[in-house]
Amino acid sequence: MMLCALTSFSQANPVAKDTAVFKQNYGLRIGGDIGKLVRSFLDDDYKGFEVNGDYRLTKKLYLAGELGIEEKTTTTDYLNTTANGSYFKAGVDYNSYVNWLDMENMIYGGFRVGVSAFSQTLNSFTVYNTDQYWNEQFTNSTSQEFKGLSAIWTELIFGIKVEVFNHLYIGLNGQLKVMITQDEPVNFANLYVPGFNKIYDSGRLGFGYGYTVSYLIPIFKKNKVVVPEE
Amino acid sequence: MKKFSLLVILIILIGTSCERDDICAETTTTTPHLIIRFYDIDEQDNTKQVRLLTVNGVDPEGNVLENIVTNTSTDSIVLPLRFQNENIVTASIFELKRDSDFDTDTNDTTLSNTDIIVVSYTPEFVYVSRACGYKSVFNDTQNTLVIDSDNWIFSYEIINPTIENENSAHIILYH
Repeated sequence: MMLCALTSFSQANPVAKDTAVFKQNYGLRIGGDIGKLVRSFLDDDYKGFEVNGDYRLTKKLYLAGELGIEEKTTTTDYLNTTANGSYFKAGVDYNSYVNWLDMENMIYGGFRVGVSAFSQTLNSFTVYNTDQYWNEQFTNSTSQEFKGLSAIWTELIFGIKVEVFNHLYIGLNGQLKVMITQDEPVNFANLYVPGFNKIYDSGRLGFGYGYTVSYLIPIFKKNKVVVPEE
Repeated sequence: MKKFSLLVILIILIGTSCERDDICAETTTTTPHLIIRFYDIDEQDNTKQVRLLTVNGVDPEGNVLENIVTNTSTDSIVLPLRFQNENIVTASIFELKRDSDFDTDTNDTTLSNTDIIVVSYTPEFVYVSRACGYKSVFNDTQNTLVIDSDNWIFSYEIINPTIENENSAHIILYH
């Protein structure tokens, strides 16, 4: 195939005699996060799914976004709370991987802005009291729901996407998030925000990961010219 | 081949999501104790030690519980407060025994003197953090001295009716 491309273009373009040209697929790649799907089956405290997509703008630049729903119950020694909601993230990915010949794999870094709309249900809590002299540890089991909460954050994403079959890709990525703003429930706090994941006491940082399977719907092709090394 | 090894790494990583241990730090202000200081009835600006003080809690059924303070000469005590439901006036009862040794020593003419105080307040639950959850603070604190034939505590003063930290005294007892 390489030779075929070489010969067909060597006549049309007599100047670049030693170059090879490959067709590159441009189009919409749509997939889902199988990590979240697997976790939904294995983890009783988690239900979630994410649809993700990207659209190739240039040789290296992709428009990218994710849409997902999550329900996560967080249990600590003194609290039990459930976050439930949906999120949307949008941004760009930049492919830093120089592909060999006609391959279209990615090692990429990207940027996202994420928004989430969710509710927080405080299922139960035990009042923290270091002194149990009276032996009357108090636990409140009256569930309390805080609705209509939202959050906005930014994230850096790093990952790889590998074409395992024709147009079918698997990928994994890691996300570093920084919370910009979030609605805090009255006399409570968000311990988990769908899309942002766990909220730490210590600060605004959050972490995430994804395992994706996606399919590329080719829309058009562009030529990629490769100059063989001497 | 590379693709398959990648898949293996991927599957291994699925199972390992790291959760940091969330431990409530001791330095965090959580449910506070009641702090009582003893002042001199004659010179009310001065603290005054109580000789060999023993303090016990008394539960709502009237049972005297174990010692909180034992045979200690001191001018301040730190007491745990009872609480159950939020926003419901709750009381803690304490027995304060002065000269704890007088009941047990060989001198029959001297006796220990026990006074009872009833501290009431309204608990309010306040969110602290992921690690500590909620604490209780105590609002509208009031104190009652149970009058007996021979009180060693003469009067009291509520310095801080809102008990939300342990930085300073909430109640002063004069003796």
